[in-house]
Amino acid sequence: MNRNIIFIVASVFLLGLGASWVINKAGSSHHLPTIKLVPEFSFKNQDGDLFTEKRLLDKITVLDFMFTNCPGPCPMMTHNMAGLYNDFAGVSEVQFVSVTVDPDNDSQKTLKEYASLNGVNDQRWNFLFSGIDSIKRLKRDGFMLFADDLPRGHAIKFVLIDSGGNIRQYYDGTDKASMKILRKDVTVLVKKMRS
Amino acid sequence: MNLFRFFAYLSTGMTYLLIFIGGLVRVSGAGMGCPDWPKCFGRWIPPTNVDQLPEYIDPSKFNIVLAWIEYSNRLFGALVGVTITLTMVFMFRDYRNEIRIRNAVILAFLLTLVEGWLGAVLVKTVLNPVTITLHLLFALIIVMLLIYASQEAYHLENPNSERKSSYPPHLGKAFAILAGALLLEVVLGTEIRGGLEMIRKENPIIDSTFLLKMLGPFKYLHTILGIIITFISGYLWFHLVKKSRFSSFLMIQTSSIILLLILVQIISGEILVFLKVIPLIQLFHLWIASWILGLVSIQYSLWKKSQVTNE
Repeated sequence: MNRNIIFIVASVFLLGLGASWVINKAGSSHHLPTIKLVPEFSFKNQDGDLFTEKRLLDKITVLDFMFTNCPGPCPMMTHNMAGLYNDFAGVSEVQFVSVTVDPDNDSQKTLKEYASLNGVNDQRWNFLFSGIDSIKRLKRDGFMLFADDLPRGHAIKFVLIDSGGNIRQYYDGTDKASMKILRKDVTVLVKKMRS
Repeated sequence: MNLFRFFAYLSTGMTYLLIFIGGLVRVSGAGMGCPDWPKCFGRWIPPTNVDQLPEYIDPSKFNIVLAWIEYSNRLFGALVGVTITLTMVFMFRDYRNEIRIRNAVILAFLLTLVEGWLGAVLVKTVLNPVTITLHLLFALIIVMLLIYASQEAYHLENPNSERKSSYPPHLGKAFAILAGALLLEVVLGTEIRGGLEMIRKENPIIDSTFLLKMLGPFKYLHTILGIIITFISGYLWFHLVKKSRFSSFLMIQTSSIILLLILVQIISGEILVFLKVIPLIQLFHLWIASWILGLVSIQYSLWKKSQVTNE
């Protein structure tokens, strides 16, 4: 009888040790690479203000490329971006940037309307526009996303940028599970920034 | 011991281990470790490198540690499925005509199939909270059915095991209420866990211990029901051990261990609520709850046996 009890207690203890190891391993397993620095750019936002790469510093930024008339995956992307924008409302370190790939149609006014249509009421979500060539260059060379057939061939990626202006990770902006991971990664970066 | 009983015990033990592994997946946040089902990143053996990912899967989802935690739950789940199937095969050989054993084992087998399917639904819905709770609840019911069937077979082979015992006859209601309360308690517990996640979504930076304060009445319901469970278990212990003229050794042990484990649950639960949300304690808090359910099934079956024997 006593031997049974010892056996059970020992097994449970070992299970606990194993589980503890696994939990720690899982907690430290998340690797966020530093991919590259976002290059210089000088665009304008929906209020007509200048927005350069310097605005990325000391902020955690989630950035995507979109256009307001896009029929395909963009509504889903905007919906997901708006979800993040709302969830991080209380976290001033986090900002969102959407760059239009269709500057011919997306004027400052159009972007402004699109922003308020999506519930943007503060400075945390900027919609940027510029000449098509600078947009292409930033997208292809700066963010390593394909930019041959704009606006249609735009990427569905959300890009996570840290407070030093470095690209850290790309996420599928239309995927629910990817959004969960992005949310977690943003939180990790904010906590690191605050500590 | 015949092969049916051997496999019934083996399935019970393995299902307990599976519940533990499932809890581990939950507390380590590995539920989406494999974004597809039944394969993991399009492979039967999870990839070791991000370059091996199929094109249709977002590379940001790849985390080899989480993938293996999730995949071990699936692999072990499949193994448990095979063991329960074998249990059913030997049931048909040895106890075809014992209707209670037959029904319990067939139901356990069917629920095992449902569990596999729920696993797929979980991945597809990116961990829908209701499905998570169902996934656990069915596992608990499977384990109770397996224990019940094992006990019935044990009593058939040892018809005199409870002959000398004399337990009070009118405890059936108390057992029914206790089983219902325990299952409800587990559901409330997972609701606390799920509720924390909901609030965390809107308050991403705040830590869990503070979030728990924002959770409100759910955690009090869990505590109140816990107190009720403690009273019913104490009541059963009092009648089955203290007030009975003779109690079998197994009955005394089972009833006492239930009370001991409830004490452990109260302490671990209070630590989680008042001190800190520690994943390892969360895991054991859930796992011990499943032990209590199993022990209550044994307790019930012993009591029922003595009632039938002494009629």
